[in-house]
Amino acid sequence: MKFLTKIAFKNLFRHKLRTFISIIAIAFAVMIVVFARGFIVGMIDSVFADQIQYYSGHIKIVDREYQQQERLLPLNYPVDGLAGQGLNEMMDSLKGIENVEMVIPRLKFGAMVSTGNELVAMSGWGVNPIQEFQFTNIEDQLVEGRMFQPGQREVVMGTGLLAKLNHQVGDKVTILSNTAFNSLKGVTFKIVGRLASGLKLLDEIVFYLPLDQAQSWLYMDDQSTELLLVTSNRGLVDQVLPEVKELLASRDAEERYLALGYQETSDLLPYMELAKLIYNQIYIFLVLLASIVVINTMIMIVKERTKEIGMMSALGLESKNILQLFIIEGGIIGIIGSLLGALLGSIINEYFAVTGIDFSSAMAGFSSELVFNSIIYPVSSTANTVFAFILGVIVVTIACMIPARRAAKLEPTEALREI
Amino acid sequence: MSLLELKGIRKVYHQGKIEVPALRGVDLTIEEGEFTTVFGPSGSGKTTLLNMIGCLDKPSSGVITFAGRELGQLSKKDLAMLRRYNVGFVFQSYNLIPVLTAYENVEFAVRLTTKGREKELRERVMAILAAVGLEGLEARKPNELSGGQKQRVAIARALVKEPKLVLADEPSANLDSQTSTEVLEVMVKMNQELGTTFIFSTHDPQVMDYAGRMIEIRDGQISEDKRREGQYVSD
Ligand SMILES: Nc1ncnc2c1ncn2[C@@H]1O[C@H](COP(=O)(O)OP(=O)(O)OP(=O)(O)O)[C@@H](O)[C@H]1O
Ligand SMILES: [Mg+2]
Repeated sequence: MKFLTKIAFKNLFRHKLRTFISIIAIAFAVMIVVFARGFIVGMIDSVFADQIQYYSGHIKIVDREYQQQERLLPLNYPVDGLAGQGLNEMMDSLKGIENVEMVIPRLKFGAMVSTGNELVAMSGWGVNPIQEFQFTNIEDQLVEGRMFQPGQREVVMGTGLLAKLNHQVGDKVTILSNTAFNSLKGVTFKIVGRLASGLKLLDEIVFYLPLDQAQSWLYMDDQSTELLLVTSNRGLVDQVLPEVKELLASRDAEERYLALGYQETSDLLPYMELAKLIYNQIYIFLVLLASIVVINTMIMIVKERTKEIGMMSALGLESKNILQLFIIEGGIIGIIGSLLGALLGSIINEYFAVTGIDFSSAMAGFSSELVFNSIIYPVSSTANTVFAFILGVIVVTIACMIPARRAAKLEPTEALREI
Repeated sequence: MSLLELKGIRKVYHQGKIEVPALRGVDLTIEEGEFTTVFGPSGSGKTTLLNMIGCLDKPSSGVITFAGRELGQLSKKDLAMLRRYNVGFVFQSYNLIPVLTAYENVEFAVRLTTKGREKELRERVMAILAAVGLEGLEARKPNELSGGQKQRVAIARALVKEPKLVLADEPSANLDSQTSTEVLEVMVKMNQELGTTFIFSTHDPQVMDYAGRMIEIRDGQISEDKRREGQYVSD
């Protein structure tokens, strides 16, 4: 066996170019697998992360009526406590549930600004800065100025929105909104910072302001439109959600409030998990395709070495030894190619994981409501690299069975007679 | 007990619908230690006969007994084992493994049969290479050797496992007469020193002088079988 491995290894050097091409084919396929997988995992992770951070939290609590009309951002179905005890008491109760790390109130509402010849519609997000910065990465998206502070009439908005309003950081802007009492009311804010997040929604529609400012502006003291619960990781949602529902029920609020796991808040997310599975099949296919180069080469090799194979039978090698010889030879190509490809792929991922791949121009036509980041950061992970490597080795080795079986089936006399 | 007994061996090849009878009833007994040549015109069935004897092929009918075992009864694996431990082959076109050195080509055969210590293995390979006159050429690849040298490596490979039987199918056909003499002398020497049974085919009359027994084949049948008086003596 050791000697067979030695022969198989030496055989690789018989036609260096041929071996090289086989290795390159495998390396290329495995590299694409590593990259594609890193990219897709990165994309899906970012979809999940954005969805959770900017839309649903791990668990989202809203009024049932609000949920029906969410797109209109109504203010008359707020979250304002359990049994009249107020929002803060409700938040504290929720925080008492095991594994709930944060309870985040958001007050989302429609607003507009007149630019002189046109009204720009926007969406205001009144949030608690400290919690918000802890939970989301919004602070990292600040490219100019600073973040808003509680108690101040300050807003922060995306680059796209600022351009539409024709304003700059430092400017004052008067924003109009419909209050909870259905009266139109304008408030003047100072723009203290500018965001560039890659999320169209945050870039072009949303402006951030302190929760207290939003509450007093809209006459919604001690109220929010939603509460987001954050657990230490999203895997805990299935465990925590029933307890949240139980709490709501115990306070006679299950008729009024709806508690939703993050998975339930988007039609897209279940498909993402499915996509991962489908892509895994595609990767196998991709490597199989590259294996055709190896199979083809090996069939040629078996033909060329027919006489040698006959001689080996004469020496007393069994068919299974000859099968092994060729599988080892193909396996080495698989191992070297896969290793090379896995390394190259992870280097590429490593690079793009830092710089990101910008799809903003390709995504220009997408709806702004889609929480989908236009800069995708492929994930470079050891698991991914190892997966692609093992996939490459297994698929190539199995593919080599085809030519190897041909070799093993040769009758010694037939093989020896070959010219 | 004889080393080999062939009874009523027939072999028919099928070429499409045409039947080609290559052997037409061969009866033959070979004793241990015999140095036998099989000769006859091209197409007479020499290679076919050697392949049957070497367990590479099965006769269409007839019985071959090798060291008391009936080959027809053996499985593919058993036949491979029989070849591995008991038969050495030397072919007209050497059939060395091109990526292995002279040493490694011989080593391969030992590795298959012996699980000895590294040092012993090495000594055995070196000894047999020296015996066939290849001292100093151990590290050469087949393409760095002359035809005669290659054939000597092949002989060393066949002999190193000390098989009961060595089959050589036209071992000197690709060699000039000087080299072919040298190669044959190596085989004779091995036959005398180790008592190995040799059967080789040829159609070169000069080569036949070396044999202790001459079997002539014509049209797939033995037409003559004679033993030389006494032992062969080298001049
Ligand atoms: N695989 C085969 N299929 C069909 N016919 C074959 C096959 N092998 C050998 N023959 C035929 O069988 C006969 C004997 O062939 P064999 O090779 O044994 O002859 P040979 O004595 O070794 O000849 P040479 O001296 O030319 O090597 C020939 O007529 C040959 O054409
Ligand atoms: Mg022949």
